[in-house]
Amino acid sequence: MKPLIGIFKFSYRTSVKRGFITIALGLGFLSVFIYALSALGQTSGRQAQSLKELIDRYDTSRCRECHEEIYAQWEKSHHARSIMDILMDDYLKKGVLSVRSAGDATKKNFPCFKCHLPQIENATDKVASEIAAVILKNDKATMKKLNINCLVCHHDHGVVHGLPKDGVLYGTSADKEHPDTKYKSVIKSPVMKRPAMCGRCHGLGPNYEFEHPVQCATLYGSYLHAYVPSGGEKTCQQCHMEKADHTCPPNFQDRKQTSARLSRALPLDVRVMFYLSQYTPEKYVPTVVVSTRIQSKAGHRIPDG
Amino acid sequence: MPQSTNSLNEVMVYGPTNKFGIFRDTSIQPFSAKEETFEVPVPEGVRRIKVLVDLSYQLRPGDVYPIHQVYREIQINKD
Repeated sequence: MKPLIGIFKFSYRTSVKRGFITIALGLGFLSVFIYALSALGQTSGRQAQSLKELIDRYDTSRCRECHEEIYAQWEKSHHARSIMDILMDDYLKKGVLSVRSAGDATKKNFPCFKCHLPQIENATDKVASEIAAVILKNDKATMKKLNINCLVCHHDHGVVHGLPKDGVLYGTSADKEHPDTKYKSVIKSPVMKRPAMCGRCHGLGPNYEFEHPVQCATLYGSYLHAYVPSGGEKTCQQCHMEKADHTCPPNFQDRKQTSARLSRALPLDVRVMFYLSQYTPEKYVPTVVVSTRIQSKAGHRIPDG
Repeated sequence: MPQSTNSLNEVMVYGPTNKFGIFRDTSIQPFSAKEETFEVPVPEGVRRIKVLVDLSYQLRPGDVYPIHQVYREIQINKD
């Protein structure tokens, strides 16, 4: 039987041969070194080095040119203002996430951004401190530019396994050509129409991967463990993105629409009785009895987030 | 979201960084009816009453979205 491993001995008797081998090994090492550097460059190139760079990278204003109606819907949604009104300034001033100054902030001070600004993963800690400065100054004009926009869902989160491909968008159908200078094609996403797409952020419970865990959104958990086991068959998208409505209602800025939507989701039945209740043989007390019944039609508990 | 404490005491807290110990679920669950009965004695001599049932959603303390307002008027017969 032939041995699986051979042991070879080399001996070089001439300085020329030795010199050639040394050069060959050196070139090999250099090529590996260059490859490692380029890989490293690729990795560090994915991290935005400044807030401006992050904003520019995720600027989706040109999507409006072709997707005007969807863009207008998105602009009304909470996704378009995901870091506004989340009390982040309070958290930066007091408590376990607080900092003495904006310059001290790193990504660790923003566990909320896992969902409220997921693209922070593609930025350095310096960007996090710039964002802290924006929030502490209540610079709403800049905060408005940081949101969950087209690229977060249609690029960053459009995949299940691995990283999103460069120059590609993910959608609910495939288009070989996409008339854009940077994103030239669309690939059908395996997850975009599934509740897991929303569940990624509209969560399951505590985020223990953080030094300071948060337990903010548990809506998806309620969907999985209450709605579906009770016989629910609809997806998040079927209720909250009907006809691809990118407003993703409820839009809490539209109070009338929100109230109407809650009214449909929570029908209320009321029965009233009024009688003289006999407390003692001599004492009768007028008593009103109000019975209420709310039957939820929602796909998750209310309230939740 | 069910009512929660920070697990260090029994005081209800707000805020995702504080909520840890869930101790009472007052939320309305899917497919599950929530029934409540309120029994209210009224002053002696009252024979007619107007009841307003107001269901609203409070996003944050003071930030209220009305959902239903049901009005009933009822009286006790004199006989």
